[in-house]
Amino acid sequence: MYRRPTLVGTIVRHLIIWITIVFALFPVVWILSASFNPTNTLVGQRLVPRNPTVGHYQELFTNPQHPFPIWILNSIKVSGLTALFVVCLTALGAYAFSRFRFRGRRGGLMALLLVQMFPQMLAMVAIYLLLLRLGGFLPAIGLNTHTGLIMVYLGGALGFNTWLMKGYFDTIPRSLEESALIDGATHFQAFTRIILPLARPILAVVFILQFIATYSEYLLASVLLTGAQRYTLAVGLRLFITGQYTTRWGVFAAASIVGALPIVLIFYLLQNQLISGLTRGAVKG
Amino acid sequence: MQKLGILVLAVLLVGVLGLASEPGKLIVWCDETRAPALAEAAQKFTAAYGVPVEVQEVPFGDIRGNLAVTAPTGEGPDVIIGPHDWIGELIYNGLLEPLVLPADLLAQFDPASLEAFSWAGELYGLPYATECVALIYNKDLVPEPPATFEELIEIAKVLTDPEKGQYGFLIQQPDPYHTFPLHSAYGGYVFGATPEGTLDPCDIGLDNEGSIKGAMLLDRLVKEGIEFAGADYQTVTGLFNEGLLAMFIGGPWTLPDIQAAGINYGVAKIPPIEGNIPRPFVGVQGFMISAFSENRLLAHMFLKDFLATKEVMLAIYERGQRPPAYLPALAELADNPDIQAFAASAADGIPMPKIPEMGSVWGAWSDALELIVSQKLGPEEAMKNAAEQIRTLLGCK
Amino acid sequence: MALGLLDALGIWTFCSLLLRGEYWMAVGLAVALALINWIYLSKRTYPLKYLFPGLFFLVLFVLYPIGYNIYIAFTNYGTGHILSKEQAIAQIESRLYLPPDAETFDYVVFQEEGGTGFAFLLYPKEGPALFAREGEVVPVAPGVPGFLDQDGDGVVDGAEGYRRLGLPEVVQNLSTLQAMEFPYGEKILRMTSLQEFAAFERRYRYDPEKDVMVDLLSGTGYRPVEGFFTSPEGEALLPGFTIFVGGRNFFALVTNPQISGPFFRVFAWTFAYAFFSVILTFALGLFLAYHLNNPYLRFRKTYRMLLIVPYAIPAFISVLMWRGFFNPEVGVFNQILYSLFGIKIPWLQDPFWAKVALLLNNLWLGFPYMMIISLGALQSIPEELHEAAQIDGASTWQRFWRITFPLLLVSLAPLLIGSFAFNFNNFTNIYLLTEGRPPIPGAQTPAGSTDILISYTYRLAFEGQRGNQYGLASAVSILIFFIIGTISWINFRFTRALEEVSENV
Repeated sequence: MYRRPTLVGTIVRHLIIWITIVFALFPVVWILSASFNPTNTLVGQRLVPRNPTVGHYQELFTNPQHPFPIWILNSIKVSGLTALFVVCLTALGAYAFSRFRFRGRRGGLMALLLVQMFPQMLAMVAIYLLLLRLGGFLPAIGLNTHTGLIMVYLGGALGFNTWLMKGYFDTIPRSLEESALIDGATHFQAFTRIILPLARPILAVVFILQFIATYSEYLLASVLLTGAQRYTLAVGLRLFITGQYTTRWGVFAAASIVGALPIVLIFYLLQNQLISGLTRGAVKG
Repeated sequence: MQKLGILVLAVLLVGVLGLASEPGKLIVWCDETRAPALAEAAQKFTAAYGVPVEVQEVPFGDIRGNLAVTAPTGEGPDVIIGPHDWIGELIYNGLLEPLVLPADLLAQFDPASLEAFSWAGELYGLPYATECVALIYNKDLVPEPPATFEELIEIAKVLTDPEKGQYGFLIQQPDPYHTFPLHSAYGGYVFGATPEGTLDPCDIGLDNEGSIKGAMLLDRLVKEGIEFAGADYQTVTGLFNEGLLAMFIGGPWTLPDIQAAGINYGVAKIPPIEGNIPRPFVGVQGFMISAFSENRLLAHMFLKDFLATKEVMLAIYERGQRPPAYLPALAELADNPDIQAFAASAADGIPMPKIPEMGSVWGAWSDALELIVSQKLGPEEAMKNAAEQIRTLLGCK
Repeated sequence: MALGLLDALGIWTFCSLLLRGEYWMAVGLAVALALINWIYLSKRTYPLKYLFPGLFFLVLFVLYPIGYNIYIAFTNYGTGHILSKEQAIAQIESRLYLPPDAETFDYVVFQEEGGTGFAFLLYPKEGPALFAREGEVVPVAPGVPGFLDQDGDGVVDGAEGYRRLGLPEVVQNLSTLQAMEFPYGEKILRMTSLQEFAAFERRYRYDPEKDVMVDLLSGTGYRPVEGFFTSPEGEALLPGFTIFVGGRNFFALVTNPQISGPFFRVFAWTFAYAFFSVILTFALGLFLAYHLNNPYLRFRKTYRMLLIVPYAIPAFISVLMWRGFFNPEVGVFNQILYSLFGIKIPWLQDPFWAKVALLLNNLWLGFPYMMIISLGALQSIPEELHEAAQIDGASTWQRFWRITFPLLLVSLAPLLIGSFAFNFNNFTNIYLLTEGRPPIPGAQTPAGSTDILISYTYRLAFEGQRGNQYGLASAVSILIFFIIGTISWINFRFTRALEEVSENV
């Protein structure tokens, strides 16, 4: 896909990318500045605050009323588990849509996509009531449980990510499975042993997308989680900024920076999966 | 595989058996600034009566919505905190329980604050703080607070120098709450009073002569280069805390950050405008009991025996810096000049209207102010338009 | 075998649900179980075996709420009407009032020895003590069997089989005790404090046959009208309750001049906003993905990681940061512009520039997503195609546009459509940056220049008459869903042609 670049080409490319990086990061630099600014202003006049302090960061980790480390752990746990399960459910669904021809396949796929477009703002009440009753006889999945929350998030698994994965599966030649089937494997085994390993890049992509989406999800989590110990980061952060007129921007900024680190880390780790596996040793013809 | 299945079954069984029930237990919702003060009172209550009290932090803006969803299901809190202007809406929704408090306890509260929490003759909340805006100024730039509004404008003009990024006076915009003193000084009002003492949602005073004069004053501030478009809360407080703004209109909630910034500040009443006294909105914060609470008597006891005490009221004050409504606590702060200034300002103020229709007013009013400040519309036209919009929204014609 | 276990579990849960009276859930569970068994045992339902787990959660947590939403749209659920009729009746009926001359009683609490029931001994100012238990009040005096006068003062102070409770125990059980009511002639006896009982009177009584709530004090009858019990003079009892209003919300939406007036303007901007957001973010995202996929480019991984950061920061703080940057006097953008060119752009005050600001902000927020999905989709393009084309003499540019791009579009088109739908409904972003402002001078309705359909209509629902009208807002959601669904559906059919291409690869 790519040619060996010239020196000029390389320099230009790096330059352009650096310009975009500046564009991407300059607000973050300001957030960093706000996190060191003791006066709780969001957009200060100067980039370097007058009396920088690490007080906000200290407060994050020492305030018992706001157990920030626990929130981060909760978020990682909920987002990680959700992303994991979503990848599983999505892969299963995408495989079915890609490989099997059944009535209602096209329509079904389109219906899935359309359904996920419904404005969800008012779904809160319905889901709250649902979990309330479910929790009535099975407390482990009721209100204020992470399990319940994860289950609600799984509702959104079959959707656009399914299409993304399906598109990827479509490009994996069927000949690979066919030879396995001839050798006596079941569909499921062909799926897990052959297709999935080849689909690593897209699995990683869906994992990351879902992780980030769940990590920053606020609406559902705030309705379903009621104890400060159970809060995810998104919910906990809101506490800092929605006191009436008391917006603690300093702490919030610090929390945002620290809270972003897990995402960046996970993305960095998963990048290795983002290389194409299809160019190696694919069966030709 | 088999063992896993049995394990799962066992766990589920245990989960079902260990059903949570609710013994006498109080749940209190508040935002993060009041939680620490309440936590102490909660501990004392538990120590005295053995009943656990759980203080849950809920973001301020979500309390009403969450209450409406959770209370009817029985899962809601017993006590919430909030400003008095919520009670109209909450009572309409059947979410509040009237309080029954002994007369001698009631006498220890500022009567205006009790009035704010009353509806149809019943008391629906235990007040703990009153708040309103006043003039906050930087003593290094303005050693003495101006005695009249004209003087304020003169001082501001001298101190405003956009090239250097310095400003003399700002009112955060578009913000009807902070601008109301200008309207009310000339006789403007939001909802007129009925003979029975309630508010008439169709008697809208935002386009009366007084309100328009107030809007014209704002227009003048813009034309004289004092007020600029885009000066919101963040900008105004940011500038003040960096020492780049001499005076602004703000409430006690701004004080903690100002103190943290080390500014030499002072608080004063908003100076009279052409001899008229500006009347800011007064908001009263209080504790309310949910109508769906299963522990009403316990909640009552918590409120009247443990929250209505000087220690707790002062502890709440420490965090929020709002003048307490509980008179013994207020008396303790008699030599605090800020509190005295805010209290004096509140004495001239008008309680924020608490009928549910109030929620329909802010949008149109804000729009009018924004148009005035950005000089897209004249003050008279903007206010008239806003009032018309509100009348249409509320279906008054 | 796992299926057998699941069945066993399911049947057991089914029974326990029935026992608790949760009939709907039991039925739902039975249906689900039957479905699961059929799907996994039948040979013909192969695709469903794979689809079922995802579908299960979808139905429960997405379709059911949508259904609920649709239901709400046909009611008047909102401020003043959030309780069901039964709940409202219960609340109104429970309003006891204490007449000024009500009788009061001192009391003592007892608990059954070896049991959990409570009882009271009530002492009126005059007359014999009363023993209250299980909804019944009986006068007792010394000498009545079963009651004791332990201190011999002529007043009953104990009962056989009952143990007196001390103050701490009383408090612990207060929630139960305070709810106990005892009929006493025409009145009701209830606890008013730790020291007193009092004789309350009911204020209202509901007559189910005539469907009237009667005020016992004044005799007025309140009939249910539009979700409030209303007197003939028009006075309404609070609280109100939810009623079914049929299509009224929808009708109001369509005929309300406040909505239909600015509709087309708002719709046009909503469409433009979503469209340009997708184009801009996709362009930047794809550009970056393409170049960051180049094996000859060094530091790829680091660059990618840095570029992901906007996506990792909570939108709440970053959008508000941007809002500060756009401040015309003290914001960074204008300060730079002023020092370089001497101009200040009225970013959020001018309708045109506010739109530009929104798009710029959205670009920043959204390009990482596009970058990630493009990176993923790029992996799926077989290298052989490029090698073949290169051999045929195609340039890099041609190779990209003729081969790579179309193939990418096949897998990404629906996601672009999805992103369009997402931005069409992106309420939070608009709200945080501009709140729909700047306002339009002289408008009849509070629609700002940057309001999109959903922010504008939600505001009407939540700021119009008397608080939050969830019923109306639900109707709005459904209407908007139809609009966006139609647009998307049209687009999907359009891209179906592209799908044929990939299936032949």
